Amino acid sequence: MMASLLLGLTLLWPLLLMLRNPLWLVMEHGALQRPGPRPMLLDAWWVTAPVPALLLTLWPGEVQLQMQGWLLGAQWQLDDTRRPWLLFSAMLWALAGLYARGYLVTEQQAAESGDGDAFRRLLGFAMLWPLTLVGNLLLILAEDIPSFYLGFALMTFAAYGLVVHAGNRDAHLGGRAYLIMAVLGEGMILGGLLWAAGTVQVLTLTELRAGLATAEQGAWMATLLWLGFGVKAGVIGLHVWLPLAHPVAPTPASAVLSGVMIKAGLIGWLNTLPLGADGLETLGAVVIVLGLAAALGAAGYGVSQRHPKAVLAYSSVSQMGMITALVGAGMAAPVLWPALLVAVTLFAVHHGLTKGALFLGVGISEHPPRLPAWLLWVLLALPALSLAGVMTSGLATKWAFKELLYEGGYATLVAWLSVAAVGTTLLMFRALWRQWQERGVYSIPIASSMPLAWLACVVAAVSVPLWIPLAGEHPNWPPLDEWPGLLWPASLGLVLAGLVALVTLRANRSWQFAKRLMPGDLWWGYLRLVRQALAWLHGLGLALEQRGSRWRSRLLEWESRATALASGLTRFERTFRRLAVPLMVGVAVLLLMGFWLG
Amino acid sequence: MSQAWLPLATLATSLLVVPVIFSLPEGAWRVRTALNLGAALLKVLLVAMMVWGLYQGQSYQFSFTIVRGVNFLFQVDALGLMFAGLSSLLWLATTVYAIGYLEDSPNRKRFFGFFSLCVASTVGIALAGNLFTFLLFYELLTLSTYPLVVHRGHAKALDAGTTYLRYTLTGGLVLLFGVVALHVMVGDVTFGEREMLADLGPDAHGLLTVLFLIMLLGLGVKAALVPLHGWLPRAMVAPAPVSALLHAVAVVKAGAFGIVRLVYDVYGIGLTYQLGLLTLLAVIATVTILYGSVRALAQQELKPRLAFSTISQVSYIVLGISLFGPFGTVAGLVHLMHQGLMKVTLFYCAGNYAEELGIHRIDELNGAGRRMPLTSIAFTVGALGMIGLPPVAGFISKWYLGMGAVQANMQWAIVVLVASSLLNAAYFLPVLYRLWFLRGPSHGVGEWPDERHLGRLETSGWLIWPAMATALFSLMAGLLAGVPFSPLDLATFVTAEEYTP
Repeated sequence: MMASLLLGLTLLWPLLLMLRNPLWLVMEHGALQRPGPRPMLLDAWWVTAPVPALLLTLWPGEVQLQMQGWLLGAQWQLDDTRRPWLLFSAMLWALAGLYARGYLVTEQQAAESGDGDAFRRLLGFAMLWPLTLVGNLLLILAEDIPSFYLGFALMTFAAYGLVVHAGNRDAHLGGRAYLIMAVLGEGMILGGLLWAAGTVQVLTLTELRAGLATAEQGAWMATLLWLGFGVKAGVIGLHVWLPLAHPVAPTPASAVLSGVMIKAGLIGWLNTLPLGADGLETLGAVVIVLGLAAALGAAGYGVSQRHPKAVLAYSSVSQMGMITALVGAGMAAPVLWPALLVAVTLFAVHHGLTKGALFLGVGISEHPPRLPAWLLWVLLALPALSLAGVMTSGLATKWAFKELLYEGGYATLVAWLSVAAVGTTLLMFRALWRQWQERGVYSIPIASSMPLAWLACVVAAVSVPLWIPLAGEHPNWPPLDEWPGLLWPASLGLVLAGLVALVTLRANRSWQFAKRLMPGDLWWGYLRLVRQALAWLHGLGLALEQRGSRWRSRLLEWESRATALASGLTRFERTFRRLAVPLMVGVAVLLLMGFWLG
Repeated sequence: MSQAWLPLATLATSLLVVPVIFSLPEGAWRVRTALNLGAALLKVLLVAMMVWGLYQGQSYQFSFTIVRGVNFLFQVDALGLMFAGLSSLLWLATTVYAIGYLEDSPNRKRFFGFFSLCVASTVGIALAGNLFTFLLFYELLTLSTYPLVVHRGHAKALDAGTTYLRYTLTGGLVLLFGVVALHVMVGDVTFGEREMLADLGPDAHGLLTVLFLIMLLGLGVKAALVPLHGWLPRAMVAPAPVSALLHAVAVVKAGAFGIVRLVYDVYGIGLTYQLGLLTLLAVIATVTILYGSVRALAQQELKPRLAFSTISQVSYIVLGISLFGPFGTVAGLVHLMHQGLMKVTLFYCAGNYAEELGIHRIDELNGAGRRMPLTSIAFTVGALGMIGLPPVAGFISKWYLGMGAVQANMQWAIVVLVASSLLNAAYFLPVLYRLWFLRGPSHGVGEWPDERHLGRLETSGWLIWPAMATALFSLMAGLLAGVPFSPLDLATFVTAEEYTP
């Protein structure tokens, strides 16, 4: 009972925090127009939004909450598969929230001192942040399909406000790409869910997976769902919004976007696809190929980017590509899946926190705290190295799936993933390089919320295998004789990066062609295609409209002709009047004749 | 024959108000307002009583014979009550809104008189127990709405009114023909006696199909099925409360409700299915949904965009009906209510923008969320609901439509749903974007077309509260769909009645 209440509170608490500010505005009507001090929006309470969720993950055993009246019957639960997801999401949300207090401090000060514009922008941030969090938590905890979809949609649409927070041109462009792709994804998800849930006649995700495994056209439904969630997970071809939207958001928002929210797509796959059942082998092969393509392609394109956050966004696409390939392996070889799920979960959590730490680190390198430079840059490089698989959680993660794939006979896939790891190393190098070039001057004390949140995130990211609750499984450290096999991609990557850097420095010129590679890659191509299609449609619409108006005018013409005819009838009136006398006479004559003859 | 007075009293609440309003002087603002609100409240109460009674298993009936073989019949069934409930609830909201909207404008007496008459006709349509009574109120609705459409009296309004009459009267005539023909075949057609036509046997099927098509043609005019929808976008010149009522419950809904009656209570879903007419309905609905959405996309003004959106959304109801099986029926019926709630909200908001800031075009809405936050929140809720996003009511409709499509083995309907959702997103999200994320006059960029300060809040309270209330209802209808007496619960109740022999 207590636990169910806590589960309810997990979702209710951020909502209450969100509603606090508008309530204040309503109570003090006209406060916005008045000059003078404003309340602090991102206060200590605001940061506590994910705390109940953190407490919930500590609750032992399963927790359930059922509500008949909610949508079509809510069923929320926390079980062993959901626990790691909830834990790491809540953690990153909490740390990023803390970080945001420091990151937005100038806006906060402007707002408090009476700058109405800053106040409103911050108000939007302060409200949409917990709302996005609620959506994220709900989609993790929901077991019934409508709640899950609600969580997903809520998160997606509320996060739009976070993306465009800056309000400049780039932010709006990123926001547009984000929204358009998200809506397309929502459409596919809706179609897939309706089709699947309608066919197997269920309302819960567990039953949906079970039903899809045996449904007649299950593979097609799975494909649709895979594509729909793939938009969020950054599947290649659908990933175009990622490098446009992630860099423009405020840094804490980028951290949760790239760390947690991108995982919502993965959670969607795990929740809806019949993984571990037969029947998805073909899709699995395609998924592996697409995943690897994303892992390699994004790495290749990402190194040409200048903005460190864009490089990191491409790295997210690349990492998600690797995870996608692992999910694909699970589809292609169902026997591997239960073990692979553990590896995928570990990978996702590792990537989530590490990428979070990296994004938060971008803000740190712009506003460095008072630390010795070597220590600062070691700490900044730590998650990068971990992501490249050289050490700590990255190494453990790599070993976790490598071991499995070797046993399952997927040596080729492992080789390709290693190549992708070379790419990751290059990306990390590039990101740090750009951060170094754009580093700021010393400004903030170490004991403020921004550096503390970042440090905590780095610590959490590198120690993932130590605390992650993986349902009894424990991630192993690789035996020493495996280390060369695990470390060569990163070493190769470092050597390559060093060479390129050396050449660039020596030649002392920038790469001209790289400047033309705008973030968003395929997006610009899509845009051109859509423009052409729209122009064509517009022409079609005009033609139809013309035909319609021609029809209408013809109908009107008929009508006016009919009215003319009707009014013409008055002419007959006169004729009738004239005929009246002869007619009467005629009738009389006829009658007389009748009498006479009769 | 127990408690025959209840349906009659429900009708009387709005019908009897009419002569009183007309006899009051134009300036008697307080009395008229009190009278309108009192009657609307009373009606909500009466309908609630009937809903309660129906759940307890009571039946309400009232009839008398007009000429031999032709009866006037009021009969309360779940379906009718659903419509009556929607109508009474939205009448209350719209009355409040109209009082605020028409403040200081001429001819308020005429407006409220015909307004009440219009609502009385919808109640009559809802409670009508046979085809004859239905037709009676259906035509009354046509006529009583005309003065409302042309209320402003300028050339454009008169023109729209003429178009409206041209369409609806022709439709009514066609419908009359079908009803009379049916009358000749089987006598008085009481709703719910479905075996009447089914018993005619296969010989009559050809004729029945033709009659169905004729009546569909008649009803389709009001339901704004493509290509009979031409009057609706033009009727947009009417004042906002009229448009709200027109789109949410009165005229368009009356047509849709007529089609529901025709399929379920005159022909019976089984017979309609046998005759293969459901597929036809599905095709018509699909065309209308997509066409309406595409046209909405091309509109530059707010109200016409909403009007084309109505054309598309009302056809969801028809689509739901055409999906053979309980889920499809639930979808159609529940959307009858949901669409009403959401669309009325959107029209209130459009009216608010026009009244307070003089905004008619979509590109004038930039940054209006800052100037009018409450209205904009209500609009956002309505728009998200139209797109079909949870937790707003539209999602529940869409969910059941999808379930129904699979159940009826018409999986392609899901494609239509998704396409329509995307189109809805394409024409609603830009509006929301302008409202909340673009800088406008309230940020010091440009000026509102015609700003007035109508009230202490962002605009007059009479205008805000109805919008907030219906937005809240739309939200609740989705969020708490599983609660007893929610629209979904009522629709399920009706469906259980339809499918149990």
